[in-house]
Amino acid sequence: MSDHVVVVGAGIAGLAAAWSARRAGRQVTIVSRGAGASALGGGAVDDVPWEQLARAARVLGGGAGRAALPLSVGAAAFVAELELWDVPAVERAWIATVAGRLRPARGRDRALLDLGRLEGALVLLPRAGRAGWDADAIAASLAAEPFAGAGRLAFQAVDLPVLRFDDEHRIGDADLAGRHDDEARLGWLAGRLRQGIAASGAGVGAVLLGPWLGASAPRAEALSAAVGVPCGEALVGAGSPAGLRFEAARDRLLDTVGARRVRDRAIRIDDERTRDAMLRVSLAGSAAPLLADVVVLALGGLIAGGIVYSPPERRAGTELPPAGTAPFELSLDAPVALSANGADRMSVVASMHGPELDVSAWPVADRPGALEAVGVLCSGVSAGAGIYAAGDVIAGRPRTALEAVASGLAAGDATVTR
Amino acid sequence: MPQQPASANGAALAVRAKPPRRPDVDVDVVVIGGGVNGLGVARDATKRGLKVVLFERNDLAFGASGNSSGMIHGGARYLTYDPHVTETSCRDSGHIQAIAPHLLFRIPFLMPVENTRKGRFLYPLMDAFFAAYDQYQPLKRGKPHARLTVAELRALEPGIAGDLTGGFSFDEWGIDGARLCVANAVDAMERGARIFVGTTVERIEAVQRGPHPPELHTPGHGYTVHHRDRVTGKADSIRAAVVVNATGAWAPITASLAGLPPERARVRPGKGIHVVYDRRLTNYAIFASTIDGRQIFLEPWENMTVLGTTDDDFYGDLDRVRATSEEVRYLVEGIARVFPSIHEARAIGTYAGVRPTLYAFGPSEDALSREHEIVDHAAHGAPGLYSMIGGKLASYRLFAEAMTDVLARVFDLGVPCSTHTSILPGGDAPCDPFALARRMGIDAVAARRLAYRHGSRAERIEERARERPREAVTVCPCEPVTEAEVRYVLNHELARSVADVSRRTRLGLGSCGGMRCAARCGQIVAEELELDPREGMRQALSFLERQALTRSAALGPDQARQEALTIASVRAEIGVGAEHDGDDL
Repeated sequence: MSDHVVVVGAGIAGLAAAWSARRAGRQVTIVSRGAGASALGGGAVDDVPWEQLARAARVLGGGAGRAALPLSVGAAAFVAELELWDVPAVERAWIATVAGRLRPARGRDRALLDLGRLEGALVLLPRAGRAGWDADAIAASLAAEPFAGAGRLAFQAVDLPVLRFDDEHRIGDADLAGRHDDEARLGWLAGRLRQGIAASGAGVGAVLLGPWLGASAPRAEALSAAVGVPCGEALVGAGSPAGLRFEAARDRLLDTVGARRVRDRAIRIDDERTRDAMLRVSLAGSAAPLLADVVVLALGGLIAGGIVYSPPERRAGTELPPAGTAPFELSLDAPVALSANGADRMSVVASMHGPELDVSAWPVADRPGALEAVGVLCSGVSAGAGIYAAGDVIAGRPRTALEAVASGLAAGDATVTR
Repeated sequence: MPQQPASANGAALAVRAKPPRRPDVDVDVVVIGGGVNGLGVARDATKRGLKVVLFERNDLAFGASGNSSGMIHGGARYLTYDPHVTETSCRDSGHIQAIAPHLLFRIPFLMPVENTRKGRFLYPLMDAFFAAYDQYQPLKRGKPHARLTVAELRALEPGIAGDLTGGFSFDEWGIDGARLCVANAVDAMERGARIFVGTTVERIEAVQRGPHPPELHTPGHGYTVHHRDRVTGKADSIRAAVVVNATGAWAPITASLAGLPPERARVRPGKGIHVVYDRRLTNYAIFASTIDGRQIFLEPWENMTVLGTTDDDFYGDLDRVRATSEEVRYLVEGIARVFPSIHEARAIGTYAGVRPTLYAFGPSEDALSREHEIVDHAAHGAPGLYSMIGGKLASYRLFAEAMTDVLARVFDLGVPCSTHTSILPGGDAPCDPFALARRMGIDAVAARRLAYRHGSRAERIEERARERPREAVTVCPCEPVTEAEVRYVLNHELARSVADVSRRTRLGLGSCGGMRCAARCGQIVAEELELDPREGMRQALSFLERQALTRSAALGPDQARQEALTIASVRAEIGVGAEHDGDDL
């Protein structure tokens, strides 16, 4: 049994690991500096990359339906305490994206509109003169999606002023979302939407908006209650306010469970093997290292900077690179191995300059791209003596929110059985 | 539905209604190829009164014209073995500056010389070489060269490293080749030419009713050009008295469509690649040598830096040319000798094109002639069919003039060329970007880029945005590109897809890889061209995938991280690989 757990990385995986270790009575310190994939995410809570569902559904015949497997008990408890996501018990959510796609997700940030529950509904999209929000184009595109046909959903762009001040044509999504954290402002929006719905006549089933409904917490449910029909956001793939809402929910949960937060960058993990601790975590901004019995690496993958693409030519100057090396490395020194596919140790590329990513970087159909697959070589979540890994930093696993939760919980649990 | 120039005014329509010079054909001339040479001929011939139709298989500037080093340079490189090319290049560089002033920007070059026995020996010879080049500089408003000490070189560009003996400065001009093509196309259309992009020629059938061997002037002799729209699949044909093959590296393929042996229009295709960096790394372009002694350069170009170029015989698919990691490293290793911090710079993409160099068996790629020639296929039993072989961006107008002079003789026009004195669209008046920014409510950088691409015609885009204020929003934040401009190029510049819009506006070519703008652009394309919205999405995805391929050949640590985010974002919003999956997704 290990008492001191240090979690490196405060994304979804690190949070899940900290939460479960804390729940089991460990002392938990979570170290993080900066925003990773969770803080940049769009609010879709996937279990597998959703295109795979669509593809599988097609192979089996019929469209991808709503049915889904229930979450594990631990994951369900984590999601409930996080108070950020809605993950239906045994069905999928269907969310609209600003690109005009209607796609399944196992769950969603509560600000996002779930169109899976709106069979036969007319969905209004208010026009707003903002970059990236063309209500007419999005409505036309959504109407052409197969799920819209199957669910008899109709989409209509309407002139319904949802911006209050002139600068709101130009400010970023996060700034506009932050304004709706204010109850009075949210009330103003609700009033506008009620008026607009009344003017549109009967039969309005929902209102789809851009990613503007809250920066510190999802405000869609309060808005829906005030308007009288479901209101929610469309998904933006990266840089959405959903990332800010995650960070706020994470900090609340960490405070609730009593995990210690350290804002710093972990730079090295060494074997300590003293009476007090097994491992030593050195920090960039502090001379005093953290001592731990167990370390959970939840650094994230390439997006977060946990895995760094580092071809040898980078260090070359005018000479040959100093050595032929594997082209990826972990962003901190730790006694773990990397893998390109999740099965084998990564080996040195037979090139003094680096790999040829021209054909392998991007995913093709079901094959993940090289940039998505690289990570720490693990057996389950165990990466080395006293070191566990969770989330995107693990090699060869799908980069989804619920996969991060599952591996985070597993790592947190492992600190107990050890 | 073939695209018509929506900007055609009444006068232009009247010109178009003008009949061809013979009653038995639909048009006087069919030009095949929408690169700078073909468009130059279409413009010149239309201007001299001929009825012209042009077919382009892919898009304007799809091949070498849109993938060059982006210079209207004087061809100093050819001075020792092809001084004629240098002179004509310089002369025409001056003309192009006069007719498209908005598209040109000065690029001062530095050439460091290594402190080796060879370098010290060559220094005075190079000085004499540049002195010879100086003779031609006034033709293109260039400044004479200067001899620089090592200290002066490093003062001008602190990034220059290595053991040097000194260096030189000289002067060149940069241009956006795709914009040059578009300007020529728009001008030709406004004068009555019709241009079809995405339309491939499938067969060129000789019509021979006269005596044998046929005489060109014999009524009845001509060609039926069978063409097919590659988007709609719709086939059609048109009768023309003369056919001009201006298809660059595709020239032998085109000749074979007329039943000629491809050797009659033979080129030696030379692939050249460029690496693009995310910002202006230097204020001066820097010359360097590769390991095999070839000259390459790093140039500040528009708002980025371009490293080029290679020259290798090409045997691949001309529609799918792209740079490889290995070619990129060859260039990086070369430039790193004088500019080692290139290893730390962030490459955000590559592009590649194939030069249609004159054919010769034996010489190395670099030693091949950059001259151009016109092949009259009358000698091969196909009178009235001409192939334009060779040439370079800087001398496109001269090449087009020479070709149109031939047409003028054939049709007995008696009208001299005036393309060097008549201004290209947008070049007639300067456009103040700061005033434009204030009027449109966009930032100054966006306005500056807009004014660069469209010159005085930026005002037409401004007008759109005034009528529909929401169109002043930014679609692509990297370049940046406004929605009004995207809609304008779809309506007035023959763009038919997301990739076409990108070629005309540089949308999606910044460091985010189109993550922010490709899908939005797809929506606009679908809206403007009345396509299924899912077709817009499919175009966006295929653009993203294609661009990802070109970027990944030059991927470094920072861009790899961005690339992973782009993949995640595209996955979340659109789905990766979805466009391969047919309609039921």
